[in-house]
Amino acid sequence: MTISLAVPDILIARAKSGDVEALEELYRAFETPVYNLARRILRHPEDAEDVLQETFLEVVRSIRAYRGEGHLWGWIRRIASSKALMRIRRDQVRSEEAFDEGAVEGTPPIGVPAHIDLERAMARLSETSRAVVWLHDVEGYTHEEIAEMMGKTVSFSKSQLARAHTRLRRYLEGEGIAR
Amino acid sequence: MMHCTMEELLALRANEGSVWGRQHLADCPVCRAEMEALYQRVAQLKALPPIGPARDRWPVIRERVVGARARGRRMWAARGLAAAALIAGVAVFRPFSGTSAYAEDLERAKQQSASLETELQEYDPDSRVVSGRAASLAADLEERIAAVDGWLAQLSGAPAAPDPQLVKLWQDRVNLMQQLVDVHVTSASYVAL
Repeated sequence: MTISLAVPDILIARAKSGDVEALEELYRAFETPVYNLARRILRHPEDAEDVLQETFLEVVRSIRAYRGEGHLWGWIRRIASSKALMRIRRDQVRSEEAFDEGAVEGTPPIGVPAHIDLERAMARLSETSRAVVWLHDVEGYTHEEIAEMMGKTVSFSKSQLARAHTRLRRYLEGEGIAR
Repeated sequence: MMHCTMEELLALRANEGSVWGRQHLADCPVCRAEMEALYQRVAQLKALPPIGPARDRWPVIRERVVGARARGRRMWAARGLAAAALIAGVAVFRPFSGTSAYAEDLERAKQQSASLETELQEYDPDSRVVSGRAASLAADLEERIAAVDGWLAQLSGAPAAPDPQLVKLWQDRVNLMQQLVDVHVTSASYVAL
């Protein structure tokens, strides 16, 4: 998803000063991109909503540390990605799955429109695989960055991406559409 | 004929592929089609429509932000009250110690209030996800504690021997603080399930 959100400097300055209305404007500007990122990675909408909330609480706490280097979305996106990955890790620790091979593939979710083949295929991937595909191929993170955020190696990120694409290809063929 | 693996195709896409892979891709229509499918898949992923949250989470975040500020103000107010009480105790209460029936209750309430403040601070409610209902309850309790602190601040400006009104206010504060801690702890327990 391409984000071209231009946030006025004055709005950031007001948010840094603790202006609640400015913070709300920031929330309104970024709630969909943040939720979308979390939702594309996490299986459950409730988890994505929690990531949205955790991300903005972190934004409120840390906005003063944002020095204006790079787009604000890049800064917020990094927080959101970390929160989503932390949630995957936490859930996997709870269910005693390994972070990598834990890859318990899901079944196609009920309620997803049948014509959205790619979304259905993505929904069948494990959260770890979804995270790597989305962060690398859509958000543009490097394998080095993903490995750092996940606390894993670069080769782990690369192999997850390859595995995910192999499965997506298979699922899409199974759905009867061109790969 | 051996074809490129997905790893090889991804490496070639990132300009990191082997010489063999590059050469094979140039010669093999099957692998070129596979690479084209990979590019298309990624393009389709990027073109997926953004999904927005079903529920508005801002009210919860707002209450947390406002609540955190109220807590910060309350911490300072509590420290100010404690300092004022200490000074008043030295200047006024000491002559009454042992004679006032309320001095002991007052001291106990102050200690309970301080330990609940510490407990809440260690619990760090700002870093936790809570439901909208819990956030609303917490905000309501924060306001009531702030009101009690206002009364206590007024009384601390006029040193006097501990009286039932002062003791009652500190006990009210303890009661409200306990409820606030319960709201946060219960909410966290629920979220953790």
